[in-house]
Amino acid sequence: MAEVRPEEVSAILRKQLAGFEKESDIYDVGTVLQVGDGVARVYGLTKALMSELIEFPHGVFGMVLNLEEDNVGCILFGEASKIREGDTVKRTGRVASLPVGEQMLGRVINALGLPTDGRGPIHSDSYLPIERKALGVIQRQPVKEPLQTGIKAVDGMIPIGRGQRELIIGDRQTGKTAVALDTIINQRYTHTPEAKERGIKPVYCIYVAIGQKSSTVAQVVDKLQEEGAMAYTAVIAATATDPAPMQYIAPYAGATLGEYFRDNGRHALVVYDDLTKQAQAYRQVSLLLRRPPGREAYPGDVFYLHSRLLERASKLNEELGGGSLTAFPIIETQASDVSAYIPTNVISITDGQIYLEPGMFNAGIRPAINVGISVSRVGGSAQIKAMRKVAGRLRLELAQYADLEAFAKFGSDLDKATLQQLRRGSRLTELLKQGQYVPMPVEKQVVSIFSGTSGFLDEIPLEHVQRYEHELLEVMELKHASILKEIAEKRDLSDELTASLKQVLTDFTASFKASVKA
Amino acid sequence: MRSQRVARRYAKALMMTAEELRLLDAIAADVETIGTVVRNSRELRLFLNSPVVSILRKRTALHELFGTRITSATLSFLDLLVKKQREPLLPEILEQFAVLRDTQLGIVDAHVTTAVDLTPQQLRALQAELEQQTGKHVRLNIAADPSIRGGLVIRIGDTVLDASLTHQLERLRERFARGASLPH
Repeated sequence: MAEVRPEEVSAILRKQLAGFEKESDIYDVGTVLQVGDGVARVYGLTKALMSELIEFPHGVFGMVLNLEEDNVGCILFGEASKIREGDTVKRTGRVASLPVGEQMLGRVINALGLPTDGRGPIHSDSYLPIERKALGVIQRQPVKEPLQTGIKAVDGMIPIGRGQRELIIGDRQTGKTAVALDTIINQRYTHTPEAKERGIKPVYCIYVAIGQKSSTVAQVVDKLQEEGAMAYTAVIAATATDPAPMQYIAPYAGATLGEYFRDNGRHALVVYDDLTKQAQAYRQVSLLLRRPPGREAYPGDVFYLHSRLLERASKLNEELGGGSLTAFPIIETQASDVSAYIPTNVISITDGQIYLEPGMFNAGIRPAINVGISVSRVGGSAQIKAMRKVAGRLRLELAQYADLEAFAKFGSDLDKATLQQLRRGSRLTELLKQGQYVPMPVEKQVVSIFSGTSGFLDEIPLEHVQRYEHELLEVMELKHASILKEIAEKRDLSDELTASLKQVLTDFTASFKASVKA
Repeated sequence: MRSQRVARRYAKALMMTAEELRLLDAIAADVETIGTVVRNSRELRLFLNSPVVSILRKRTALHELFGTRITSATLSFLDLLVKKQREPLLPEILEQFAVLRDTQLGIVDAHVTTAVDLTPQQLRALQAELEQQTGKHVRLNIAADPSIRGGLVIRIGDTVLDASLTHQLERLRERFARGASLPH
C-alpha cells in the first residue's frame, strides 16, 4: 500500500475549505419541555410541519406527530435518556426519509436506513420520504403476473399476483414467517438467466422485522444467507429493543424501499412481520402523546395506519414501467380470534388472506393452511394456465373432504362415492404437505398436483403418498425433463402434453404399486 | 402549559377591555405597577397562591394595596380573577399582557449573544439593521457568552440567526467528516 503523502491530505482538506466562507445560518428552534418513553414535547418550533424531522442534541432525531396550541409532540428515533428538559432543538426542514438503492440488498438496516449488521456504512445519494402517498387509479393496472411462492397449497389454490396484498394470519407458532421466508427463498429462481429467458422478471425482497427478538432476526438473516437469498433481499429490523417510534415507522421504510424498485420498473416483495406489533407500538406512542384511545385502546386512526401502508402495494401501468410492489403483511391472532380489532381491519384492507390454523399445524399438516377460509381475491389471473387447469378442482375436493371428514368419523357404512371422496381428499391433503425451506418450482407443482387431481394417488396407501411424490418428481427430472421444461416454457398444458404426462404417470404408478407390494 | 393557555385568555380579555375604554396606556402602566409589586414581594405571591385565604380577604387585601394606585378597570379585573379563583395565575397573566402589548405596538424581542461586549455604536447599528430586516421595533437583550468564540447569535421568537464562530467550526467539522467517508 502506498503511503499517504501529507500534501495530498492537505490538498483535499483545502479543497473542502474552499467555498467555506464566513456565512450565517438561519434556523428555527424550540425548547424541550418534557421527554420520556420515546416521545418529547417541545415548546416553540412554531413553524414546524407535520412529520418534519427535528434535530435533538446528541445526534438524536425526532419526528413531529402532534401540532398543538402551545407545543409540538415529537417521537424520538434514538436514545432519549441523554435529552433533558430545556434542551434546544432545531427544525431541519426535511421530512423523515430513507436512503434507497441496490446497496441496501444483502444488508440489515434500521428504519432510518442505517446499517446494523456491522458491515460498514452504506453510501446512497438518493433519499425518498418514508411516508409517501399511494398511487392513484390512473397509474395502476390490474394484477396479472404470478408471484410464485413455491408452496403447493398457495400456488395451487390461493394464487398471488405481483402487486397484490396478501395477508398471512394465524396464531403464534403456526408457521406464518415460514410461508413468507419460503416465498423469499423461492424468488431466487427469478434472478437466474433461465428465468430471464422465459420472460420472468426478478423479484427483489424486503423483509421488515417489527418488534421481534434480535435473535430471531439473526436466525432469519442466517437462513436467507444460507439459501443464497440475501443477494436480492434487504432486511429492515426494528427489534423489540428499539424504541416504539422505530417500530412504528419500520413498515413505511420497507414500503419506501420497495417503491424504489417498483418505480424503476422492477418487481419487489415486502414482508411486514408483523403488523400487530406495529399497531401496538403505534398505540404506545399515541397514548403517550395523549391521543384519545378507542377500541382495545388503539387510537382512532389505527385503520388508516395500515390502509395507507398497504395501499402502497401496486402494479404500475406500462407507461410507468410496469413495476410492482407486492405486500405480505403478517398478523398474529390470539387464540385464533380473527374478529379482534387489528385482524378484522387488515383482513378488510388486503386482497385475501392465508389463514394458518394451530390445530392443523399440530396434526402435522404443514404448512397449516386452512384452505376453506383462505382466499386470494385476485384469483386465476395470477396463475399460469397449466396450474389453473390442474388445480381447478383441488379447492372443491378439499372442501368436500373437510365436510365429510367430520361426518365420516361417526358412520361406518358409507356409500362408494363418499368413500372415494374421502380417499381422494386424504391423499390430496397428504400431497399438499411440504417441508420448510424447500419451495417447489411451478412445473413440478403442476405435475405433483396433476397426479393427485387425476386420481393416480387414489390407489396408493396414504403413508406412501409423500414417497410417491418424491420419486415421481425424481423420475420426471431424470427421464422426462422435456415435459417439465415444456410446462415451464409454455406455461400451459396442451392436449398432447397432457396425454404424454398421463402416460408417464400411468407407467410410474404401476411400478410404484409393485414396489409397495414387494 | 395549561396555565399559560388560561393566562393568555385573561390577558386578552384585559387587553380588549382596555382598547374599548381607550385606556390602553393607563392600564399598561397599571400592569407594570402590579407586576413590579408581585415580582418584589414574596409574601404577596404566597398570599395569592394560598388556597386557605378566603376570597373576601384576598379581595380586601388587593383593594388596600392597589385601590388608590390603579384605574378602576384594572381593579375590577383583579376582582374578577379572585372571584374566578385564578389569582395564582396573576404573574403569568401580567406576562402575557406584556406580550400582547408588544405585538400590538410592533415590538419584538431580539436576544443577542456575543463573544465580546459591543460598543454603543455597534449596538445602534445592530438595532437599526434588525429593525430594517424585521420591519418592527426591536428591543435588544444582550448577553455575552465567550463560548461562541466570535461573531454573534441573534434569536427573534423561534428563529435563530447563527453567525457564531463555534457554529461555523462545527459545520466545517461535519463537512470534513462527510468528505472523509466518501468512497474513493
